[in-house]
Amino acid sequence: TEWNVSVWGKRRAFTEHIEKLAELVSEKTGGEFTMNISYGGLSNNRENLDGISIGAFEMAQFCAGYHRDKNRVVTVLELPFLGVENLEQEVAVSTAVYNHPAATEEMAQWNAKLLMTSPMPQYNLVGTGDPRDTLAKMEGMRVRATGGLGKAFEAVGAVPTSVTATEAYQAMESGVVDTVAFAQHAHLSFGTINQADWWTANLNPGTVNCPVVVNIDAYESLSDAEREALDSSIPEALDHYLANYGELLKKWDSVLEEKGVQKVEIDPAVIDEFRAKAADPAREAWIADMEAQGLPGQELYDLVVKTLAEAKGS
Amino acid sequence: MAGSAAVLEDSSLLSRLDRTLIPLERLFALVSGLAVFSLMFLAAYSVSGRKFFNAPLSGYVDYIEAAMPLIAFMGVSYVQREGGHIRMDILIASLKGRALWLFELISVLLILVLILALIWGSWAHFDRSFDMSKPLWSRDSSIDIGLPIWPSKLLVPVAFSVLALRLMLQAWGYGRAFLKGLENPVAVPLILSVAEQARIEAEQLEGSE
Amino acid sequence: MDEITIGLWVTGGMLAMVVLGMRVAFAAAMAGFVGLVWLRWNGFDYAPDRFYKALEISVKVAGQVPHSKVSAQALSLIPTFILIGYLAYYAKLTSALFEAAKRWIAWVPGGLAVSTVFATAGFAAVSGASVATAAVFARIAIPEMLKIGYNKQFAAGVVAAGGTLASLIPPSAILVIYAIIVEQDVGKLLLAGFIPGAFSALIYAGLIISIALIFKNVGPPVSGFTWRERFAALPPALPIVAVVVIIIFFVYNPFGDAWGTPTEGGAVGAFIVFLMALYRGMRWKQLKEALIETAKLTVMIFTIIWGVLIYVRFLGFADLPGAFSDWITSLTVSPMLILVCILLAYAVLGMFMDAIGMLLLTLPVVYPAVMALNGGEAVSAADSTFGMSGPMCAIWFGILVVKMAEFCLITPPIGLNCFVVAGVRDDLSVQDVFKGVTPFFIADGLTIALLVAFPAIVLWLPSLA
Ligand code: NA
Ligand code: NA
Repeated sequence: TEWNVSVWGKRRAFTEHIEKLAELVSEKTGGEFTMNISYGGLSNNRENLDGISIGAFEMAQFCAGYHRDKNRVVTVLELPFLGVENLEQEVAVSTAVYNHPAATEEMAQWNAKLLMTSPMPQYNLVGTGDPRDTLAKMEGMRVRATGGLGKAFEAVGAVPTSVTATEAYQAMESGVVDTVAFAQHAHLSFGTINQADWWTANLNPGTVNCPVVVNIDAYESLSDAEREALDSSIPEALDHYLANYGELLKKWDSVLEEKGVQKVEIDPAVIDEFRAKAADPAREAWIADMEAQGLPGQELYDLVVKTLAEAKGS
Repeated sequence: MAGSAAVLEDSSLLSRLDRTLIPLERLFALVSGLAVFSLMFLAAYSVSGRKFFNAPLSGYVDYIEAAMPLIAFMGVSYVQREGGHIRMDILIASLKGRALWLFELISVLLILVLILALIWGSWAHFDRSFDMSKPLWSRDSSIDIGLPIWPSKLLVPVAFSVLALRLMLQAWGYGRAFLKGLENPVAVPLILSVAEQARIEAEQLEGSE
Repeated sequence: MDEITIGLWVTGGMLAMVVLGMRVAFAAAMAGFVGLVWLRWNGFDYAPDRFYKALEISVKVAGQVPHSKVSAQALSLIPTFILIGYLAYYAKLTSALFEAAKRWIAWVPGGLAVSTVFATAGFAAVSGASVATAAVFARIAIPEMLKIGYNKQFAAGVVAAGGTLASLIPPSAILVIYAIIVEQDVGKLLLAGFIPGAFSALIYAGLIISIALIFKNVGPPVSGFTWRERFAALPPALPIVAVVVIIIFFVYNPFGDAWGTPTEGGAVGAFIVFLMALYRGMRWKQLKEALIETAKLTVMIFTIIWGVLIYVRFLGFADLPGAFSDWITSLTVSPMLILVCILLAYAVLGMFMDAIGMLLLTLPVVYPAVMALNGGEAVSAADSTFGMSGPMCAIWFGILVVKMAEFCLITPPIGLNCFVVAGVRDDLSVQDVFKGVTPFFIADGLTIALLVAFPAIVLWLPSLA
């Protein structure tokens, strides 16, 4: 069996679990089951779910925030200020939501099965000029932040400004935006860190959720041995991803130092204030919106809270 | 390279159908043009909002992306009617009479098959983003302000359907010319020599100087 | 049959359809679509009942491409650039430019011809399309040159050659198309076009001056304009300066932060020319005409874009570009020689094909090969073959290829600019224009050679941004 896998961009920390999965699966089946990973050749990144639904390729990665209406359920994981502190916790909450029947059922409409997440750290801000470390200073701030995160900044008077990730560097340089919210690897690969004067170390406003999915028919037509090889490789692939991202995070501090970027610690009181203004209304609006559509919004949110508490306890 | 070409007219049913379709095609082309025009204002509004009022237009990129299909597809049939889609006509321009009409007929029929397939495919693309049971009937939305995408996806099969009608008329026109061995058939773009074509292009600019 | 073989057959089939006169956009889309079906069906071991499944998947994959690829923010530059050009006619910028150029520089040997070159270069800064530039200047500049005794063929050649400058000097639709196909920074590419464009104009001017000094039949210098007259000619041409400044400053501001994105710059430039055209008497009737003409040209270009991208989607599944790159890099010939051969191949292809069609059809395969030749997309200048980083190589190759495409506008047998000039002037045959334009082959050859030998001419400006 040979699978086509559609991802985008270049090979980076964000795609390491897929590369590892391909390697493990091929190893375990003695080369019987291989994966062809294509970086952008098979689909646009915002149409990977369509490609899975059509059967154009068998596996793909996408981000929920690219198209909220395609994947309403998993957007619960993109709500602001969920309180996720590290990638392990991100994996735990994602897995819990992916296993919820509402998520499974919504993805089944796309003929897709959720395989694993691509855990992303919190999207902290880089910015130019004086650090925006109080809500008053965020008033009128032009921020590149999409989806739920953009809404959160809007709630405290900032102006979310839409530019694509690849244009973010130029948007910052040209003053189209003052600040950009990305995960660390993206600040590095899109160059926004080179423009920055400061980085918020602990704002932790939220992140995006990017699942890896497989086409259900393709998954079911695997031989038992192949399916077993695939399923059993997922934890290993995720471990590899976490270890690899861990290395990147270790380097992060030295990168900041080298580029002369100030590490801004925001006062917890300010964060609490931000959370109260942004997170609570956003969550309530999200839950109401989902419930109105017959989706178990409250239940999903409670599941995230409960799983997170367990993950933090363990 | 073939730019615009001449389309002859007479009182036959084919030619009347040809002329019936033109107003629709021209209207669609004007919509394309107006969409380009609106991009200009959108940018002027967005830039001045950001520079002078600290109020950038939220969803600027989303609006542009929604306008692009309007620009790119609406005029597709008008351009086909005028013979404006570029091609290499060195070889075909040396043909005459039945041989020429046969080549043109085959070419148009192939395009028709392609476009019918693309109507199917682009309709399916629209259909995946459309769900009557969802708010705003939307099952696919833009990245920043969550605009439903189905209206702009729907434009593709609509524009292609008009193109399919145009291609059927042209197939009829070429087929008729082939069967009857016509010299100057109606309702199909006739190949001009590069020189004649350049003259037409130059005349288009006449009024403006 | 393996994927590469299918890829080659499909590509061959596409070229056959193009040569047989099928519209380029649809030939490419057809090839891509058939290729997708073939790949799938092949995978299904030729079982006929699976043919329908292969067809269905391919139809849906191909049917996604037009909407999905066309809805890109960066592509919105193409219609805006085209609109600027049409509005510029109504703003009467062409005659203003020619008048200003004449008063300021016609005193040099071959003066009116040199003025024409600089006026076309100036108009290039508001026009995205070469053919239109040639048509307009054939009407304004040729009569003035003939009046003072220029050789008829030479005067026509100057206009045909000067017209080509529009594709290099931004705004340029063709540079945007290149940037989109190869997924590189549009702003930097546009910025990179300025100096080579101005450089081409200077080489044209140098050539004309040399010819004027050696042969006496090209026409006398025109002098005697007072400074007052010179300055009086400037204001009507000012909007051009405004547009140039805006486009540059939106991409790269030497004094501080750039003003915005290239997309915004193009649209704001169009807005300024629009206001100017309104002031100069454009009304709804002319505007409607400009909009329909813009739509026609835009739709024509976009149709090729999505058509070719269906073929490119097929290539993605067949991985033909990968195979071609591997082959190119495995050759033992010097990489520079390979690059020169590629450019020569464009010169030959361009004799028979339209520039946009030619670039779109070839770049998906040729561009990855050139990048591989240089050492890959992410290579650093130090480790590379041509002594420049991956992104810089992309810019350099883009400018070279666009210059080749310009060159093709004046080469026989289908040099479109020459046909247009002959079409405007009843007293000139196409042969006359081709004869008159011949000296400019030398100029273009020299320009291309210098751009290849000294990449800094191309890369200096974008490396600042
Ligand atoms: Na130009
Ligand atoms: Na040519």
